[in-house]
Amino acid sequence: MTTQVAVAAPGWRGHLPRQLAHAVIWGGFGALSVWLFTANAGLHSGLVAIAVVLSAGLWAGAEATRAVVLRRGWLTLPPLALAWRLILVVAVLAAAIQALIHLALATGLTLGWLRMPAQAAGYGPGAIAVYWFNTAVMLLLWTAVWAGQAAQRQSRRESLGRLQAEAERRRLELDLLRARLNPHFVFNALNNVRALINEDPARARELVTRLSNTLRHALQHSQRERVTLAEEWAVMQDYLAVEAVHFEQRLQVDARLDPAMAGFELPPMFLQLLVENAIKHGVARTPGGGLLEVAARRGEAGGLHLTVENPGHLDPSDDAAPEPSPTGGVGLAWLRTRIAGLGPAARFRLWSPQPGRVRAELALPA
Amino acid sequence: MRRLRTLLVDDSRLARGELRTLLAAHAEVDVVGEADDVEAAVAAVAGLQPDLLLLDIQLPGGSGFDVLERLPRAPHVVFCTAYDQHAVRAFEANALDYLLKPVEPARLAQALARVLQRPSEPSPPRGTPLAAGDPVFLRDGERCWFLKVGEISHIEIDGNYAHVHFRGQRALVQRSLALLEERLDPAMFFRASRGVLVNLRQVRNVEAGVGDGYTLHLEGGTQVEVSRRQAREFRERLAL
Repeated sequence: MTTQVAVAAPGWRGHLPRQLAHAVIWGGFGALSVWLFTANAGLHSGLVAIAVVLSAGLWAGAEATRAVVLRRGWLTLPPLALAWRLILVVAVLAAAIQALIHLALATGLTLGWLRMPAQAAGYGPGAIAVYWFNTAVMLLLWTAVWAGQAAQRQSRRESLGRLQAEAERRRLELDLLRARLNPHFVFNALNNVRALINEDPARARELVTRLSNTLRHALQHSQRERVTLAEEWAVMQDYLAVEAVHFEQRLQVDARLDPAMAGFELPPMFLQLLVENAIKHGVARTPGGGLLEVAARRGEAGGLHLTVENPGHLDPSDDAAPEPSPTGGVGLAWLRTRIAGLGPAARFRLWSPQPGRVRAELALPA
Repeated sequence: MRRLRTLLVDDSRLARGELRTLLAAHAEVDVVGEADDVEAAVAAVAGLQPDLLLLDIQLPGGSGFDVLERLPRAPHVVFCTAYDQHAVRAFEANALDYLLKPVEPARLAQALARVLQRPSEPSPPRGTPLAAGDPVFLRDGERCWFLKVGEISHIEIDGNYAHVHFRGQRALVQRSLALLEERLDPAMFFRASRGVLVNLRQVRNVEAGVGDGYTLHLEGGTQVEVSRRQAREFRERLAL
């Protein structure tokens, strides 16, 4: 149940401030202990040794606690779970430190290296418990302060990560929305409206209506999961009517909808995207334009088979742009991702049935 | 009043009509023709020799930049686009004039005034070599330049490409597109060696080089070697 927490290795310079703090705290604690011991019982090598081993032990214990907490990712635990784990670790470490002191003292006294004051305090079970408790409290104090700080840092890092992910998601959504609104199409249409107002006011009025329908659909599309093919077909007709004003005789449309498929439900914008692509990369780029063929018929097992064919050439850079861009590859990349989420029966293919023609085929399961 | 013979290049008939309507308010502008794709635009420029191109970016058969690259001599250009962030960044970066469709009459007037401020060179008959003051259009990826032929210091030929050096900068252009090489005036540009053409007006200093060759020091500090094979012709040219 360990959680992996990415802790960036800061190098020795990154550890320097903490080790300095340790040196000051535990060095100060050692000096204070020596002063307290000797103030009562006079200067004895044994008492100094106890203070030194205790301070060093606490320093090592503090580092060990920190290492265990970080390695096991305990900082992400709820406060209570973190607290009892810390208390357990501190209790074990305090016992180890006392054992170390006892070992050092016993060895030093036996070998005659250390001397204790004559009226040395007792070393019975009660005294041992008091020593252990004091050590544990010191260590726990440090651990609590450190863990509090570290947990705060961690939560700040996490919320920053969340915010960054959110910002990235919004940026993608915005790119997609911009692509959906198709600004090049919109501004060309507005320019054409302006020209038509002089030339043919009735057609200008008609064009405004068609353009409004197209825009309204593009803005509303994300609010629904599925739309009927008949609805998508109507939007496509509006869109093509606007493009017909722009391309005039350069755009001929042959659109065939099998009436039996009118009620078929599909994710919104699929058909629209294929038709926009066919115009943008096919008809618009081909001198003289050409024929746009759109067909919706019954596919395998009651599914839908959509075909959109246009004049033009397959451009590998349009098909699989390495990075979706607001003007270019967003559309097809988005379509492919959506189709991948619809299961293996949903298939998309972009190919050239004959030189100078490009065909997009989309199969959707019932 | 100076007149601007203007060619409209846009794939949409209505858009061209809209431009005509807007230009009707400018007495100095004569719309001499219209073109709706790259080929037609290149042909129309060759035939009509306009002073000004109002040029759409996205065209059937290529882009407005493709049109310019295929012109031996660039007229004044004001780009038009409905929405093309990519192209607009290029216009801004290269200080090129552009209009956004639908075009604001005030912006159009501003752009025309700027064109009229620039000196005009009378169009020479077709087939005449480029003169020092003739403008040419160069494009290298994102960057593009309108420059005068006389600003080119030298051209290094490298297979299908040519490095054109000018104003201390360098553009890598496709030789098939840059009709430059064939149209340069041999009196101004000298073939120093197989791969290098040098603008003699940009030569600052001549030094005896390896063997019988010469080393030319150009404005801006570049050095170009004249091969032994070309040395004789170089001496004759200098003697002139």
